[in-house]
Amino acid sequence: MKSIQRTGVIRDYDMHSASVRAGYGLILALCVLLVIVAVFPLIWVVLAGFKDLKEFVSSTSLLPEKYDISMFTTTWNQLGIAKNYLNSLISVVGSVVCALVFNGLLGYGIGILRPKGYGVVKKMVMFSLLMPTTISIVPLFMNIQNLGMGNSFLPLWLSFGANAMYIILFVQFFESLPMSIIEAGRIDGCSQLQTFFRIVLPLSKPICAVISIFAVNAAWSDFLLPYLVLRGGDKQTVMVRLFVFSTEQTVNADNMMRSVVFSMIPPIILFFIFQKQLTENAVSVGIKG
Amino acid sequence: MKRLKNLVSWLLIVCLMLAALPLALAEGVIDEGLSCTITLGNWPPDTAPEAEKALFENYRAIMARQYPNVTLVPDYYSYTLSNYVPMAKGGTAPSIFQPPFTDPQLLISQHLVGDVTDALAAFGVLDKFSPSYVEMLADENGRIYGLPRDGYVLGMHINLNLFREAGLMDENGLPLYPKTLQELAEYGQIIREKTGKAGLVFPASETYGGWLFTNIAWNFGCVGESALEYQDEDGRWVCNFTSPECIAAMEYIRDLRWKYDILNADATTTDWAGAHSLLGTGEAAMNFAADDSVDQPTANKGLPVEDFALIPFPAGDFGRYALAGGTCYMFAPNITKDQGVALMAYLRILGKLPFLDEDIIAGMRADYAAKRDRGAPVLPAISAWNDEEYNAAKQAIVDEYCNVDMRLYNDFFDSVTQGTISLKSEEPVFAQQLYRELTAVIQRMITREGADVVKALQKAQDSFQEYLDDEINDY
Amino acid sequence: MRAQPKASRARTAETFKSWLIMLPGLILMCFFVWEPLFESIRMSLYKTRNVELVRFVGLDNFISVVTKDDFLQALQNTFSYTFWSLLIGFFLPIVMAILIGETTKGKGFFRTAAYLPNMLPGLAVIILWSAFFSGEKSGVLNILLSGLGIPRQTYLTRAEWVIPIIILIATWKGAGATTLIYMAGMAGVSAELYEAAAIDGATVWQRIIHILLPAVRKLAGTLLILQIISVFQIMYEPMVLTKGGPDNASLSLMQLMWQYAFGGSMNYGKASAVAVIVTLILLLMTAVYSYFNRKESDWD
Repeated sequence: MKSIQRTGVIRDYDMHSASVRAGYGLILALCVLLVIVAVFPLIWVVLAGFKDLKEFVSSTSLLPEKYDISMFTTTWNQLGIAKNYLNSLISVVGSVVCALVFNGLLGYGIGILRPKGYGVVKKMVMFSLLMPTTISIVPLFMNIQNLGMGNSFLPLWLSFGANAMYIILFVQFFESLPMSIIEAGRIDGCSQLQTFFRIVLPLSKPICAVISIFAVNAAWSDFLLPYLVLRGGDKQTVMVRLFVFSTEQTVNADNMMRSVVFSMIPPIILFFIFQKQLTENAVSVGIKG
Repeated sequence: MKRLKNLVSWLLIVCLMLAALPLALAEGVIDEGLSCTITLGNWPPDTAPEAEKALFENYRAIMARQYPNVTLVPDYYSYTLSNYVPMAKGGTAPSIFQPPFTDPQLLISQHLVGDVTDALAAFGVLDKFSPSYVEMLADENGRIYGLPRDGYVLGMHINLNLFREAGLMDENGLPLYPKTLQELAEYGQIIREKTGKAGLVFPASETYGGWLFTNIAWNFGCVGESALEYQDEDGRWVCNFTSPECIAAMEYIRDLRWKYDILNADATTTDWAGAHSLLGTGEAAMNFAADDSVDQPTANKGLPVEDFALIPFPAGDFGRYALAGGTCYMFAPNITKDQGVALMAYLRILGKLPFLDEDIIAGMRADYAAKRDRGAPVLPAISAWNDEEYNAAKQAIVDEYCNVDMRLYNDFFDSVTQGTISLKSEEPVFAQQLYRELTAVIQRMITREGADVVKALQKAQDSFQEYLDDEINDY
Repeated sequence: MRAQPKASRARTAETFKSWLIMLPGLILMCFFVWEPLFESIRMSLYKTRNVELVRFVGLDNFISVVTKDDFLQALQNTFSYTFWSLLIGFFLPIVMAILIGETTKGKGFFRTAAYLPNMLPGLAVIILWSAFFSGEKSGVLNILLSGLGIPRQTYLTRAEWVIPIIILIATWKGAGATTLIYMAGMAGVSAELYEAAAIDGATVWQRIIHILLPAVRKLAGTLLILQIISVFQIMYEPMVLTKGGPDNASLSLMQLMWQYAFGGSMNYGKASAVAVIVTLILLLMTAVYSYFNRKESDWD
């Protein structure tokens, strides 16, 4: 009979009590409400995308007058969003690679190699975790300009190679690895770098997956530094474009809503593909971090 | 119908001939000796409309014929103060870019732009500058650092549908529009009562509110001794927001919200584009806006040109001013003399110097034809050059393409050309910061009933005075 | 020197190689995090013209920034953001975690739905919600309210509402992720504890109060501090939604910094002074954080 295991506070036999049953009903109702609140804005924005400017500004109906998909395709073509998608893709791929390689190696140094003096680095990284990068965005932007890296993806990619949170996630994960395996590799004559690529990395798939997902999402969503770096050029990402729309007012409100839809599609697809990793692994990572 | 067809084909032939003209004239190489590279900001990006891209490609082709050894490098750069400064410092600014008229003096004083006086003299147009522009684009020694791209004069956009609905039309089908600020409040009230829509959209976000407010304040008498900004006898910049005139102007804004209740609902978050949206979609009847943005409510937001009119800025009891401004061309601080000449040659091709050759006329025609096709009003531009012959020739071309009932615009243009309204450029120093301070006061006035006008203005005045002291007086 | 044991020399080489492996990451951290932080401290002590340091002025920038009304307003607002975020954003995930934790059928679905908004780009979320809080009759909230017979309201023009509204939006986006963390924490409580308490006659409510909540108390403490630190840096939300208005009612400290730097006055010295002040406040909070976190973590 016990097809479903109750894991919460309410136990099976509590359900004999009418008041608990009512309470459980209320809980279910609240959860359904929660789902509605979480999902309704997304459904609405898609519906709003079918409205033209006049309807969007004036209509008091949540539903559009007609469902014409060409509203979306026209905006897509007119604003040349495909180009921005491509730019975002380039930005995201480079950022993920940098996030894994540079933070991974630094994490390997702090978590496993632990050379003399590593404690200072560890403390500095910990400290940076609590310092938002936005605080020093002014001098950072000046440094980037001084090195002639304006209007280039390079500084954006590399900025993902300097992420205190990712470093610490790596360190925590590496520290949890059984040292015996790593020692064995060292005795077999692997150099430090070989140990990393042959032994540590293969064992680190779960953490790499989680950091990749985080980095994809962050690189896709980021717009402040990309806005300053990529300025008015042809390398603007989807989010930079959206920020430009919202600040420079070159786009009508209806096109803006459709652009919002475009900007949400890739993260939502990503979400549904990696749902399990996100809601399970990411959480266990979050608890430690 | 047949006549129309004939007309169209005739026009087409003319256009084709005109388009072929530059090719015929192409023999004329102007200067083979000029050899340099210039980077051009605001080049249309890949995503721009085909017609616009073609237009700029054509400019490039002409330039290549006239100055075969000048290399043009397109740059998609679009100017904002924040992105420009580091580029100018780093030596990566494009040779030419387009700041609004609020910024030239700041850029000149900080040595962030290049001098083109000699290049202008080489083209013989130095003395044709309209004096107000010389003031805007030159330093204290009269050296010139920029050229006007296009000027504008602030007036008011109105949505005729709402005027009709509110019964504010005369027997000739012309709107009974407000001539004074007091009438504006009253007409707005009638419109709100009759149609349920906002009488006036007032974009009071960030700096826009303050920008519009300065014009209202001038009409309340904030000029001369009561000016919002002035230089005292010691040369220090002083701001004055607490004159009786300024207080009266701010009380007027407060009354628009609380006494007449004619403003749009979200005035404090409405920006420039949002204001045009509300007017264009018929949610508001009037909007303070200029002649250069008439394509916004019409072509961009969907209001047919026949339902749109442009009227002069309403007068106040103590003044009848209209803010005049625009966008200019400025140049990278490190341009060479040759680059300067090449840039002026490029601007001449764009029709921005007071010359009318066949290329430029063809360009103007193409521009007006495109406007007409988009459903934007084709209107005469207010010239930035004191050159009668040139101005008259331009007007003749505009008349050919005109797609509007000029009676809906005449009062506006007449007030400018006949001098019944005085043009005034923006407050001289740190205008954007001044607008920001005043916008905050306006936001306070329209979100809090019974807010204390004098106290809020005093606070803004103290704050802006401190800013002036920091940035100029005690620099 | 020759006499130095081989093992020791090998260890030196080893140490050297280890640092070499860490070097790329260290260079990036220097370039993107540490040097700019140091640089902003330096810049805050100079009078700047654009990106040049004109002359050393000591604490002048700080004095000038701090004595301005908009700084005090921004400081007050930032604390107000924090307050509202605690009121709305702190308790909600705990409640959500308990609710979803109690469900049997559909738990995975509820959890997924709750997490979904967290994946969306923050900027897109703000723009989307701006349409909900529009004061026009076409504003989504006004449409919904008119269905209930409530007359149309304006939202973002009300100085006392803007901060709670911005926090509501941030909570909509962020609460799901926090909920999942709490759920993982709560899953650590053995079912037998509840069984035992139930046999002793504890009601469901009592079990929540005496068993479930104490189990996540430490976790809640950590999340609380992290939340305060992150809300303290709020910037683009008001920047996009209200531009800090009305009358600076939603202006945050970080936004003030952005305004000094990129908002037209290009005063990087003063911008840096604001940045340093925010950094100092965050450092203070960090100290509190490590105090609370001392026993649970091996990180100090």
